[in-house]
Amino acid sequence: MTHEELEESVPLYAAGALDRTERQALEAHLLSGCASCHAALKDHQSVAALLPLGLSQTSPPRALKATIMAGRNPAPIPEEAAQKEPAKPSLEPGEWMNHLFPPIAPARSWSLPWAVGLATLVIVAVGGYLSWNVVTQRSEDTSNIQQLESALQDKSTTLAILQREVGEQAKALAAVRSDLQQRTNEAAEAKEQLAQREADLEEARVQLSQRSGARTGGTPQDELATLLRIPNIKAVSLTGSDVAKHAAGFLLYDARTQKVWLYSVNLPECPNGTTYQLWAIQAKPVSLGTFHMDRGDTAHLLVKKVSNFTDAKTFALSLEPSGGRPQPTGPIYLLSRS
Amino acid sequence: MARVVKGDQQAFSQLYDHSSTLLFTLAVRILGNHEEAAELLQDVYLEVWRKVSRYDVGRGTPVAWLVTLTRSRAIDRLRARATRGYRATQSLGDGAAEHVADLGPNPFETQADQELRVSIGAAVAGLPQAQRQAIELAYYEGLSHSEIAARLNQPLGTVKTRIKLGMSKLRDGLHQYWNHGELQ
Repeated sequence: MTHEELEESVPLYAAGALDRTERQALEAHLLSGCASCHAALKDHQSVAALLPLGLSQTSPPRALKATIMAGRNPAPIPEEAAQKEPAKPSLEPGEWMNHLFPPIAPARSWSLPWAVGLATLVIVAVGGYLSWNVVTQRSEDTSNIQQLESALQDKSTTLAILQREVGEQAKALAAVRSDLQQRTNEAAEAKEQLAQREADLEEARVQLSQRSGARTGGTPQDELATLLRIPNIKAVSLTGSDVAKHAAGFLLYDARTQKVWLYSVNLPECPNGTTYQLWAIQAKPVSLGTFHMDRGDTAHLLVKKVSNFTDAKTFALSLEPSGGRPQPTGPIYLLSRS
Repeated sequence: MARVVKGDQQAFSQLYDHSSTLLFTLAVRILGNHEEAAELLQDVYLEVWRKVSRYDVGRGTPVAWLVTLTRSRAIDRLRARATRGYRATQSLGDGAAEHVADLGPNPFETQADQELRVSIGAAVAGLPQAQRQAIELAYYEGLSHSEIAARLNQPLGTVKTRIKLGMSKLRDGLHQYWNHGELQ
């Protein structure tokens, strides 16, 4: 990014509108010590911090203050180094972030500032000694003064080195913090994706259940499955006769829908020109419907709506000529146990 | 603020009195409900109490710091909430209208504070609607410019320009009040 682009991104940064990459680019630029961008940021940041004043103000609940005052344990540890050091006239590179952004985690080591503080005290002491020496002794001991001056210069150099180290440390910490922020963001993104997947899955489930719901009354298999869950359904078991010893059947009658279901297995295939016909036998047999078993068929589901079906106790399945007959004429294949 | 840094209880109480309405207003605007805003404020003040020693009393305004801290924490919550799939009940742009405004005078607000508040309200209201909307989406909803562009179905460049122009206008309009910005 050019300097112009970076400078233009300052108001967006203050409004909180930059994405992560641009934010990091600007922060790195500010860390490099660009005074004009720094000043612009302070300007815009001040505006941003005032924005909530423009909202119509809402007081917090009265009880909140008591809760907060009661919750302040342990007491804060005053930063001694901060108190001993005079306020710095300007921001050091890297330090502006501590001011503009709330502290997130203990990110700064105070050992180096302490060292700087100590070095400062040493310099003050050496300087004081120098003055005292000059005033009291007046011996014009030039070599001694030069020695002290050289010691002072050494200390100043040490101080400069320490200050540079502090600056570097701050930069490293800023990098670590930015890295941590990036990781946090990545984790948040991953979480978001996971949540999205879960939402998709849930939606798929809902659609699936809606579809299966819509299919109720659709395919006979689904309807049969629904029927089996109705407790007061009438169920009759049929067994194979001598001509079809392995055959069996299961008949259900739903009085609400007036439907009869016959699920039969292992019936032999119908010879050409014949069909199976189901009978309900009360006073006399009443045909409930016909169906055909082809070669290779092992099971069949017959579904018929029967309005005149009432209280038949016995059911039978016979083999009849194609189209069925008003009365059973052929051999019985399945018969209910009465 | 300097006394708060030293752990002065009374000073902390005063800091609360001076700043809590502003911070609560901000938190309610971002989070859309009072309960969560109160929870957030509790976290923020306790964090301030614990970490205030890291605030450099030599520079900056404490309220600006508190506002930045509160906004940042509120946006974090908002994002965490979005991650959990929770939908904010508050729709965009009408947040301020939904607030139950506390019309009674704040006993801790000086006349200068009041004037500043009125001026800022006027400056924000004086912005073209598109600029105000873009700034509010970034500041109160935590959206990046590209997210705002997608939300408003506008080119990215247009959104960036709106925010830049809006922020610059606010800065120019409020320049005379900056020196009174501290509510300390």
